[in-house]
Amino acid sequence: MRTRFLIVDDSDLVRKGLRTVLQANPEWEVCGEAADGLAAVEIFKEVRPTIVIVDFQMPGMNGIEAARRMLKIAPAVPIVMFTQHANAELEKRAMDAGIRSVVSKTDAFPMVGIIEALLGPVDPKPSAEGTL
Amino acid sequence: MNEQQKVNILMVDDQPAKLLSYEVILRELDENLIKAHSGREALDILLKTDIAVVLMDVSMPELDGFELAALIRQHPRFQKTAIIFISGVHLTDSDQLKAYERGAVDYISVPVIPELLRAKVSVFADLHRKTRETELLNRELRSLSARLIATQDEERRRIARDLHDSVGQLVAALSMNNGLALLEAKHLSPAASGALEQNTELVQQLSKEIRTMSHLLHPPLLDEIGLLPAIKLFAEGFAERSKVDVKVELSDEISRLAPNVEISIFRIVQECLTNVYRHSGSKTAFIKIWPSDEKMLTVQVRDQGKGIPPEHRISMALGTNHGIGLSGMRERARELGGTLEIQSNENGTAVTAAFPLTSAAAVGV
Repeated sequence: MRTRFLIVDDSDLVRKGLRTVLQANPEWEVCGEAADGLAAVEIFKEVRPTIVIVDFQMPGMNGIEAARRMLKIAPAVPIVMFTQHANAELEKRAMDAGIRSVVSKTDAFPMVGIIEALLGPVDPKPSAEGTL
Repeated sequence: MNEQQKVNILMVDDQPAKLLSYEVILRELDENLIKAHSGREALDILLKTDIAVVLMDVSMPELDGFELAALIRQHPRFQKTAIIFISGVHLTDSDQLKAYERGAVDYISVPVIPELLRAKVSVFADLHRKTRETELLNRELRSLSARLIATQDEERRRIARDLHDSVGQLVAALSMNNGLALLEAKHLSPAASGALEQNTELVQQLSKEIRTMSHLLHPPLLDEIGLLPAIKLFAEGFAERSKVDVKVELSDEISRLAPNVEISIFRIVQECLTNVYRHSGSKTAFIKIWPSDEKMLTVQVRDQGKGIPPEHRISMALGTNHGIGLSGMRERARELGGTLEIQSNENGTAVTAAFPLTSAAAVGV
């Protein structure tokens, strides 16, 4: 089962870049995109992603508030914040709201590692040759 | 003199004939002459009209001039109102002293010499006119200053937002592309992959610079989360950049304040710390924000530096190109109904601002 991502960022450029980075992994698929917090919550309800990547500073609702609302709907979904403003204070508030990790926008590839860790070990697929 | 420039001169006497004689003498001054026949009438007029000079006889049959003067002086608004006594009785030095104690600013003896009365009245009339002009200019200045501060805030917010929304997002996309290219590093020449590696470094630095710039202009934490985390973050960044050790004490009881209060407090702290770095020579600074009682919020920034020498008070008040200075800070506080005080000696400086919380309408997060 592929891992399904919802990505939330008001910048088209960033969403496009993220899609490319994430979909480099054949098991990963971007199933929904939103450009603001309110839309994000609606799309979250519709597509029920495996994992959410959300920006912090967006017009209207910020990413922490959007994450809070999504977690009310599905508390177990890991949410990662991908922001230009990563810092200790933001991290504190983000984690308090239930976000699992705050990553700087220049650390997209390290974020991939963090996402892999959050998604947990992949079940070994049964293969013709026996165990891996 | 045009109507707008004329001041009001109040003449008080219970004898209409006397009032008429004063009127005749003072007509030449071309000011507004107002007559009152009793103490009550005089007070009524004083309360409703802006009076430059009060002219009254010390010994009126029905009305004691000294008593009336004392009554007028009781009102806080009329502490400085010019009162000229006209005295028929020869006043000894001690009588004159009594007159001054009771609130007269001048006296003239009977028989009144018209030129003398005109001269004395016009001195106070002119003084009042000048004071009025100065007050008007002050009000204009304050309003201009408030607009300037608001414009500056708006500009900074806009630039910070643009930095984030355009430049910052471009850097993010750049970073991701660079990362994607680096995935192919083993297919590239050492020079090429070396350049990409360097790009990664450069992009990190670029991102950091933008982040710092935008935080100094207008921290997103301030709008999105609130004053306390924004101050903590600013203090940390400042300590790193300046090597000044900053201790922050922020009371937990403070919930979100009105946006204009939060931004003003933030700017005041920002300006104070900048001054600590630039002028004080202090290696430490303290920021404390606490509700000083249920209605007031107090902000204090202290340092242990060399203090503000008197000759620098003025340039510090006006500020350098980098800040709007202490008088800008005072203006911010005043605009919100608050106060700002500076205490400074050779052991350090403390800037203390207090804001009424009621105007902030604390909003729970």
